[in-house]
Formats: sequence, structure tokens, C-alpha cells
Amino acid sequence: MAMVPHLRPVDPAPSGAPQTLIELAHAGVTFRTRTGEDLTAVEDFNLRIQDGEIVSLVGPSGCGKSTVLRMLAGLQEPTNGDIWIGGGKRRRGFSEVAIVFQRPTLLPWLSVLKNVLYPVRALRRTTAADRARAQELLEMVGLGDMGGRMPHELSGGMQQRASIARSLILDPKILLMDEPFGALDALTREDMQLDLLDIHASTGKTILLVTHSINEAVLLSDRVAVMSARPGRLQELIDIDIPTPRTHETSAHPAFHDYTRRIRDNIFGPNARSHA
Amino acid sequence: MSPAARKIVLPILAFALFIGLWELISVSLEIPVYLLPSPSAIWEGGAKLGTSLFTNTAVTLKTILLGFALSCAVGIPLGVLVSVNRLTSEAIYPLIVFLNAIPIISIAPILVVIFGTDETTRLIIVTLTAFFPIMVATATGIMDTPQEMLDLSRVAGAGPLTEILTIRLPHAVPFIFGGLRIGVTVAVIGAVVAEFVNANRGLGYLVTSSTAQFAIPTAMACVVMLAVVSVILYEAVNWTHRLLFGWSLRNDPGK
Repeated sequence: MAMVPHLRPVDPAPSGAPQTLIELAHAGVTFRTRTGEDLTAVEDFNLRIQDGEIVSLVGPSGCGKSTVLRMLAGLQEPTNGDIWIGGGKRRRGFSEVAIVFQRPTLLPWLSVLKNVLYPVRALRRTTAADRARAQELLEMVGLGDMGGRMPHELSGGMQQRASIARSLILDPKILLMDEPFGALDALTREDMQLDLLDIHASTGKTILLVTHSINEAVLLSDRVAVMSARPGRLQELIDIDIPTPRTHETSAHPAFHDYTRRIRDNIFGPNARSHA
Repeated sequence: MSPAARKIVLPILAFALFIGLWELISVSLEIPVYLLPSPSAIWEGGAKLGTSLFTNTAVTLKTILLGFALSCAVGIPLGVLVSVNRLTSEAIYPLIVFLNAIPIISIAPILVVIFGTDETTRLIIVTLTAFFPIMVATATGIMDTPQEMLDLSRVAGAGPLTEILTIRLPHAVPFIFGGLRIGVTVAVIGAVVAEFVNANRGLGYLVTSSTAQFAIPTAMACVVMLAVVSVILYEAVNWTHRLLFGWSLRNDPGK
């Protein structure tokens, strides 16, 4: 069975103020290893994410970024602390949250359209309305005429687009993305980063993005959460105050370099600046 | 010669050469027909049976197919059962391994005593022979399911049964067909063993009864027929795989 984070409507914010959608309070995960030792992947992690925000999680590898994401997805039970995801009536299967993996993870036995429909199929029979919605989403990610193809007929970038369409089929409030562009070539990657911003602009989803790329984090995010190495803790939370909509030109913005440097310093320490 | 044509012509040539050589050696060395009948003698032995060769083939084929269907009906669900749940796995897997470890030839006569001399016993023998590779292949495929696919179905909110039906079983299809390919050839062996110990019709019965009368060419003709049946069934499984589950024949880059 899926493990589901604790659900509690977050206290209503004063009117006009942004609504907190996700709150991690002192959340931590400790694994028991095979040898019987305890291994703390994430410790005392505190983060509030507002409705409609894009927040990136960056940090050295093995710092527990993916564990944070898996906790929010209900795939990993926090061993300490609480996770609250507020607002919206909870539907079966916790469909406020959808996840996009690094690999497209399309099911090779289903057509692209049926792959997009899979989360619906996991819960109930699909209806004509579901199929129409799936087609709309495919069109939104630029795969309108690919619904009948099988996944292997698509390029890696197209497969990942299809998997993004799939993540939106149940109309979740929150999109969790685990290095979604990490497996793509550099050009496709740039292209899809901007597409993600378009999707965000048109759907208003709250996005939590785990990434290895500091540039990607600064380009896409409203805020960047920098994590420290194991045990993973939140080290710094940086507001990215660069005007939207962001484009390919954004990286030329004067503040862009300052932000990437600041994040690098946070991860590697200031003395490593010359290597960055 | 194109590679495609070569793939057909070469084996036929090799086969013809093999038969020719066999015939030549049998005739030139005057090997007695009861020791090693020549291909032409086997042909004559088969011809002597006339249409009864085919009616007996039909009888054996029916036993094989029914037994194979039973093996699937038992093997695939058992494969799921021993792989999705640690409790059931720990409880019943040793028992199944033990069942499979029993040499089928040794238990076949006992099964005849228990279940009688009719088709039921033959089907039980075939099933006992053929379910194991199918079960193991199914279990292997179920356990091979990538974690990300399982995560996907869990985040979507699929229950355990939905997860098995929509993720694990489809993923296991190429594995299951691997098991079916082995299973169907083993089912042929099972059917022959069953007919050895308990039948008055069928190819297995013809082999034993002909041998008892030293009609070795006739017995060999039945053996050849069994091999032909086995090859055809093997290819039928392959063909079904290609026809119904073509997607699983390629390595999927996006998995």
C-alpha cells in the first residue's frame, strides 16, 4: 500500500497573503541499514512552500534531495517530524501530488495516450472525458499527434514530455520532479526547461524540482533550497528575485551569476569559488 | 546469397546432408534395422501406420495442449503468489521446489494407481512436469519490475491488485513467454511419460508397443512425429508472443 503523509489543512493565511501548500516540519528519515546501523538521510528538515511556487532543491549528491521528494510523494514515511499538505479535498490515491522521474518511465506495453491515462486507470475505468483531457495535455506538451504511438517510437525528450503530461492527468496541485531533465541532451534540456515554465504559467501548479544543475535551479525557481551533505538538512533558502517570464536571455541577467555563485559557495564553501 | 535466404537455405542443406549421411552409413555398413533404422526405413515404418499415425498424434496433441493450458493456469498465478508476498513465498516456495524435485517418471506409475487410467492422470502428469518453468519465469518477471514503475502506480494510488494487473504482470510478459517456451517442450515430454505408463492410444503408447514388438522403425517414426509436434508448438508460442505482445520483443530505451 502507498504510504501517505499526514494530511491536515494548513491554517488559513491572512487574506491576500500567499497560501502555504506544503509544510515540512522537522521532517527526518532514518534508515536501518543491513548491518543494523542507523543511517540518517534527512534530518530536521523545515520548509514551507506556497501555492503556485516553483522551488528547487539542490545539494551535493546523496544529500537526501530525492528522499524529501519521496516523502512528499507518499513513497517514504518520515521517521521524524510532520509533513502537511493543505488545501483541496483529499482524493483516493493522494492525487494532489504527482511525480515526474528522471527517466520517463513510460509503460512500454501502452500507447502514449494510454500512458498519459495510466494514473486514471490505476484508480478507475477511464471515460471519454479522461481521454479528451489526455489528448489536451499531449497537445500542451507538443505531442498532439503522438497519442497512438508506442513509447519506443518517441525520442527521449518526447518521452519525458509524455511523462509530464501523465503527471498532470489527475490535475494535481503539486508536481514533484526528480531531476526531470537530467537524462536529456543539453539542447533538449534547455528547450524543456522553458516549456516547463510555460506549463507552470498556464496551469499554476506548485512545483518542487530536484536538480543537479545550479543554473537550472536559478533559471526556473522562485526559491532555491540548498541542502547540506548527509545528514541532509536545509542549509539556506534563497529567493531568486529575477523578473518573470524567464527566457534563454535570463542567464544574462546581472543577478543570475550572483545567485549561481551564492549557491555554489553554499554547497562547496567560498574558497572553492575559483573552481566553480 | 542474401542473409535472409541463407538463414533458410543453410539449415535445410545441413539437415538434408545429415539425413543423407545417415542413410548412406546405414546402408553401406548394413546396420541391422533394430539397432539403427535408416531414414527410409523410418519413413516406411511410419507409412505402415497409415492414418493411425495422425489419429494418435491428435490424441497426444490434445493431452499436451490441455496439460499445457493447465500448467499455465497453475504456474502463472503461483508465480505471482510466490513473488509479490514474502509470507506466501516463504510458506509455499519450498513445497513447490520439493514437488518439482520429484522425478516425474518415478511418480507417474503411482499417480496412475491413485487417479486411475484415464486422461485425468495424464493431464496431472503433464501439469506437474510443465508448471514449474512457467512459475519460475513468472516470479522472475514479477520481481524484475523496475522500482520507478511501482512508484508510479503507488503515487497514482493503485492498490496491490491493480499494481499486479497493470504493472507487474505486463512487465513480466517477456519473462513468462520464456517460461512458456520451456514449458511447452517439457509438456511434450510429460505427455509421452504419461502415455508410457498409462495409455492405449497416443504416440507415447505407440513407441512402447512398437518397441515391444521390435518394430523399431515404427517406434522411430513416432519419435520423429513427437519432435515435429514439439518444434511446431515451440514456434506457436513464439508466434503468439510476436502477435499479441510485440512490444515486449524490443529493448525499450525509455524504461
